[in-house]
Amino acid sequence: MLLEAHDVAKAFGSFWAVAGADLTVEEGEIVGLIGPNGAGKSTFFNCLAGDTLPTSGRILFDGTDLTRATPEGHARAGIGRTFQVPMTFEDMTVLDNVMVGAFLRHPHRSDAREHARRIVELTGLRPDQPGRSLGTPGRKRLGIARVLATEPRLLLLDEALAGLTPTELREAIALVRRIHETGVTIVIVEHIMEVIMTLTRRVLVFNQGKVIASGTPEQVVKDEAVIEAYLGRGARHA
Amino acid sequence: MKHPVSPRVGVCLLAAALLLFPLVFSDAFYRDIGVAFLLAAISASAWNIVGGYAGQVSVGHSMFFGLGAYAPLFCYTQWGWPPLAGIPVGIVLSVTLAVVIGMPTFRLSGHYFSMATIAVAELIRIFFGTWALVGGAIGLQGPAVARGWWDLTFRGDLAYYYIFLGVLGLLLFVTFEVGRRRFGFYLRAIKASERAARSLGVPVRLTKLKALALSATFTSAAGSLYAVKTGFIDPDSGFGILVSVQMVIVAALGGAGTLLGPLVGALILIPLQTAANTWFGGGGSGLTFILYGGIIVLIARFEPGGLFDLWRRVAALVWRRAHAA
Amino acid sequence: MVLLQVIVGGLLLGAIYALFSSGLTLIWGMMNFINFAHGEFVMLGMYAALLVVLHIGGGPVGFGAAAALALFGLGVAVYFALIRHVVRGPMLSQILSTFGLALLLRYTAFFIFSANFVSLPPTSLSGTLDLGGIFLPVAQLVAGLTAVVLTIALHILLTRTTIGSRLLAVAEDRAAAMLMGIRPDRMQALAWGLSAGAAGIAGALLATAYPWSPTVGETFGLIAFVTVALGGFGSVLGSLYAGLIIGLIQAISAYWLGAIYKDIVVYGLFVALLWLRPQGLMGKA
Repeated sequence: MLLEAHDVAKAFGSFWAVAGADLTVEEGEIVGLIGPNGAGKSTFFNCLAGDTLPTSGRILFDGTDLTRATPEGHARAGIGRTFQVPMTFEDMTVLDNVMVGAFLRHPHRSDAREHARRIVELTGLRPDQPGRSLGTPGRKRLGIARVLATEPRLLLLDEALAGLTPTELREAIALVRRIHETGVTIVIVEHIMEVIMTLTRRVLVFNQGKVIASGTPEQVVKDEAVIEAYLGRGARHA
Repeated sequence: MKHPVSPRVGVCLLAAALLLFPLVFSDAFYRDIGVAFLLAAISASAWNIVGGYAGQVSVGHSMFFGLGAYAPLFCYTQWGWPPLAGIPVGIVLSVTLAVVIGMPTFRLSGHYFSMATIAVAELIRIFFGTWALVGGAIGLQGPAVARGWWDLTFRGDLAYYYIFLGVLGLLLFVTFEVGRRRFGFYLRAIKASERAARSLGVPVRLTKLKALALSATFTSAAGSLYAVKTGFIDPDSGFGILVSVQMVIVAALGGAGTLLGPLVGALILIPLQTAANTWFGGGGSGLTFILYGGIIVLIARFEPGGLFDLWRRVAALVWRRAHAA
Repeated sequence: MVLLQVIVGGLLLGAIYALFSSGLTLIWGMMNFINFAHGEFVMLGMYAALLVVLHIGGGPVGFGAAAALALFGLGVAVYFALIRHVVRGPMLSQILSTFGLALLLRYTAFFIFSANFVSLPPTSLSGTLDLGGIFLPVAQLVAGLTAVVLTIALHILLTRTTIGSRLLAVAEDRAAAMLMGIRPDRMQALAWGLSAGAAGIAGALLATAYPWSPTVGETFGLIAFVTVALGGFGSVLGSLYAGLIIGLIQAISAYWLGAIYKDIVVYGLFVALLWLRPQGLMGKA
């Protein structure tokens, strides 16, 4: 079991964004996390990534308790994440952006640069392009490249494929698949059903802070509770 | 992007110019400006490490300058030590202060750090003004006559010029080297986006602390050089807001976060300041501040990258036009 | 008895601290922006009062309102000319913008008014009251009480009126507010106006009771930081409590340790706060 989340909860004041969520991910899986907006999946995701401190519950990575670990600690342990709004290092080139990630495992500049260059090639970006000149798809890809350079065992993708054209989407899906094939376990939060259906083998559905359904994508799509969550009561019988 | 002039050639030319300057312009007036330029360049370059590269804006950096200035003169007046021996003392004090301030404030957003620097600098200034041991409002003085070369009390500015130039060279070298390594990448990442940096495993708080400590070290050295050259220090010339402001404006005007930005800033500001003092006369410091304030606002509003950035954009434009033709 | 007088005096001054600090905390809460020139706004309020008295005449209500309006206008102007452009830029330019503004305002004041301490000519608030052994200048008493009223009024404005909820909506979620037909730019300009206006009135109130020079801006600025840090960034009520506490601490320190130390104590308190309790007493960090 690579990642386990037990009864994780997060309250903001009196509002429980996450109200007891469980998750287990085996090494090598690709797991999807879906749910309507406001369902709490982003908050849960941030708890898994170390950006938000859970109010209660436990998060274990490869047996180690990371519940209260900092984002840096998560990265060092081998968990990487992307951001919904890619936070590109604007004033640095693509290669330099990726090198920041590479330095985690390669403290020496020449090693880091070599490692970064390989990753930049893998993701199809141009190393000398200034970060600020990239469009949104490029920035998202750079975000993935950057975190890949930290050599994560588990990669948390936060809506990394939103806002792409159909062609870009297909390329991105292929990229994620390639990454998965190198042995990285992936948890992907996504709204785009094509991504979920084609990439993931198992899906968890979030609503109102809890996991309300889990199974293969085909099973989940037909689940009554899921339909109700997305479309409201009455849609079940439509 | 290709530069019209190779950077290496540019740096060599610059170094040559700086080395030859006091020999070509041997009048005391010019040498004086030269020394003032170097001192401003050193202070601003030191500030640049934490304020420009790491993006943590200190507006109270005079606290390190002042400690560095008081230390050698204090060691001299209390124990008769040569001021040279007091320089490391100043550095130790400054680095300690840097850690004390950095530890709590770097956990929080950047504004806390900036506010803390103002408060602490003022605190120290007022405190030193009331503390008899360090001379109170009157301050301390250095050796009037040199007992040996280690007293660093020279007549004329030439020796000071080359000592300062050496320190500037060392500082720029350290900044350059550090900038190329992991530490430099981490600094720039923190400045660009702390949250993203964290997610990549950058130890943000520790990196900021290191940057502040390094910056404090050289700022303290600058203060020591100042005290040794003028042979005198008091709370205002050590910890005053003018000292802090000048560092910031020199770096920001030239280009904060670039290696040579502070030099460019000093190159423009020091002659400007000298001219302003001449025109406005004795009551000049008030008008100088008005000018400084105005310049800072204009930089912030229109050209946050400083003149260096402006120059780069203009040069790129000219280069493109020349090659399109 | 003297101690009691010191305490009351400190609280009254603290109330005025609370008033101008609530302006600073409003901007922080709304835009996550620190105005390093806020102390200068207070200082300008004081001089505005003086100018009105000298050239137009009138009583405290007159010059108080004049100071408030003048500074309100300045706040809005500063927002449109400067703040709006830097608020979404790098941190360096954000901090430099108001820091540079502070220098500009402070030394322009030095240039125009000189470094001498000045006071308002005698107003209807002159004289001292004897409240059972405590001798209080009328001006201090009125100024302090007015400050409390105005601070609470600001709090009510922000929390219980439509315009207040619009301001808070923009603070909460700019994009959502826009979708609801609220114009964030206008609301933020309004916030700056209110913030500067509060500083302006506070300045006028201070002018009735205490002498000043252009240097006070720096001190008030720092006091505002401490007050806002203690009371919690974004909380006007927090500023009220914190302001009173700061005024009290300052007065007692001056009494026990000597007048020179009253500023040191405040700055020291700030540094201690940063170390120990950055989130203040009431707000979030």
